[in-house]
Amino acid sequence: MIRPVEGWFAKVGRSYRVTLEHAGALGMLSWDTLVSIATLKVRLKDILTQLHIMGVQSLPIVFVTATLAGIVTSQQGGYQLISSSPQYILGTLVVQSVVLELAPLLTAIVLVGRIGARITAELGTMVVSEQIDAFKSLGRDPISIIAAPRIIAGVLTMPLLVGFANVIGINAGMLMADFDIGLGRETFLYGARLNWHSWDLFYGFAKSVVFGLFIPVISVHMGLRTRGGAEGVGLQTTKAVMFMILSILVIDALFPPLLLQ
Amino acid sequence: MISYKNIHKAFDIPVLTGVDLTVETGEMFALFGPSGTGKSVLMKTTLSLVVPDLGDVEVDGLSVYEGPSSNLEKIRRKIGYVFQHAALFDSLNVYENVSMGLPEDEISRLTTAELSRRVWETLEIVNLEPREILSKLPSELSGGMKKRVGIARAIVGRPEILLWDEPTTGLDPINTAAVERLIKRLSTELEVTSLLVTHDVEGGLQMCDRVAMLSGGTLRFVGTPQEFRDSPDTVVRAFVDRAAAIAALDMAVV
Repeated sequence: MIRPVEGWFAKVGRSYRVTLEHAGALGMLSWDTLVSIATLKVRLKDILTQLHIMGVQSLPIVFVTATLAGIVTSQQGGYQLISSSPQYILGTLVVQSVVLELAPLLTAIVLVGRIGARITAELGTMVVSEQIDAFKSLGRDPISIIAAPRIIAGVLTMPLLVGFANVIGINAGMLMADFDIGLGRETFLYGARLNWHSWDLFYGFAKSVVFGLFIPVISVHMGLRTRGGAEGVGLQTTKAVMFMILSILVIDALFPPLLLQ
Repeated sequence: MISYKNIHKAFDIPVLTGVDLTVETGEMFALFGPSGTGKSVLMKTTLSLVVPDLGDVEVDGLSVYEGPSSNLEKIRRKIGYVFQHAALFDSLNVYENVSMGLPEDEISRLTTAELSRRVWETLEIVNLEPREILSKLPSELSGGMKKRVGIARAIVGRPEILLWDEPTTGLDPINTAAVERLIKRLSTELEVTSLLVTHDVEGGLQMCDRVAMLSGGTLRFVGTPQEFRDSPDTVVRAFVDRAAAIAALDMAVV
């Protein structure tokens, strides 16, 4: 009877220790990155390269995701509202849904798959092939060369991508409203303006900055902790994706009580 | 001179349990041992690539773990490290990989022409044709070429000490012999202290002034190659016999 209880407590203790280790390492990584930036050790060329990879190359997938999100929200909103509320409310629904939730969250999920997994796999491969050790042996700081450019690019890119997703999602929703229930552009925009608060835009962008920080920080952290060979890289990448998605959902849940009261 | 003092390291299980070893200045020293005995781990403690749980390393009197953090920076400038699988940076071409071997302040001091000449000369030292490979990425090179570029990166900064971590692993016997000749030549011409971790016992015995064998987390043997061959220690004897059998098999294949 006692043994299963002991085992349960041991499991809880181990999970608690691992969580604290991750939190500590993430904090250290963020601090080291800040120091690298403050001491101007990060090369502009490396940041621009990452901005291109994370930003420009992500535009097509963000475009598709935002378009579909706008279309689906508009269709489902139209279906729910058509008999019970004024149709212009659909403008409010689509704009609020896209700006407050769908654009930041879906863009973040897309970036987890496209950028986060890539960073973890790339860094994991560098660890197992001793490239990170090679940087250190040559007196180079892997944080300045590898981690910091990715983290800076993540923080800068995410709000821009979310802004892009907002525009695409709202326009897709507006076109769909016209096509689906015949709601004109003017009426849609009237509904959108009726309940518009500039704060909502800030709220969405604030989320995007936090997501843009967490995705590269977690993916770099997980990549640098890779052990073993190809199997280790695969395992660590899977763990990193799970870790990033869960973190994003938890952060997303923390935002309304903090900023929408 | 490199001194390892009472080095302990465990990864879940103990790997090194109190290793004391001194490699004298100008010496060529080989470290043998079965797989998983911590040879590479011991070598990596020299540059703090692996931090020991206990003990210290001194390089020319500078302590890695008990001295100020600036010691590590000074020690890194003295040492060139050749990695087991070359560890070339995937996204950089050969020119950029080799020039990374120079300290940052030296790169900024050199003109582009001087830097190019330095890289060019170093590639020639390791018997590579610079014109053909300077702009190639590591993925475009053969295993033997990668090793040579890795060696070029390690020596371009004119180090006083070279650490060779299984430099012939993964090479066929002909390339192994060529790389071993290169190691011997570079160690003599550049007048460096060399510490070599290798599975190629015969090659190590022929090249080095002294050898050591790690077994069970501690040093089982330290002495000259002849003393190693003549050792009455049964563990050393078994290791030498097994290595000789593998070498004979390799030669038969060739």
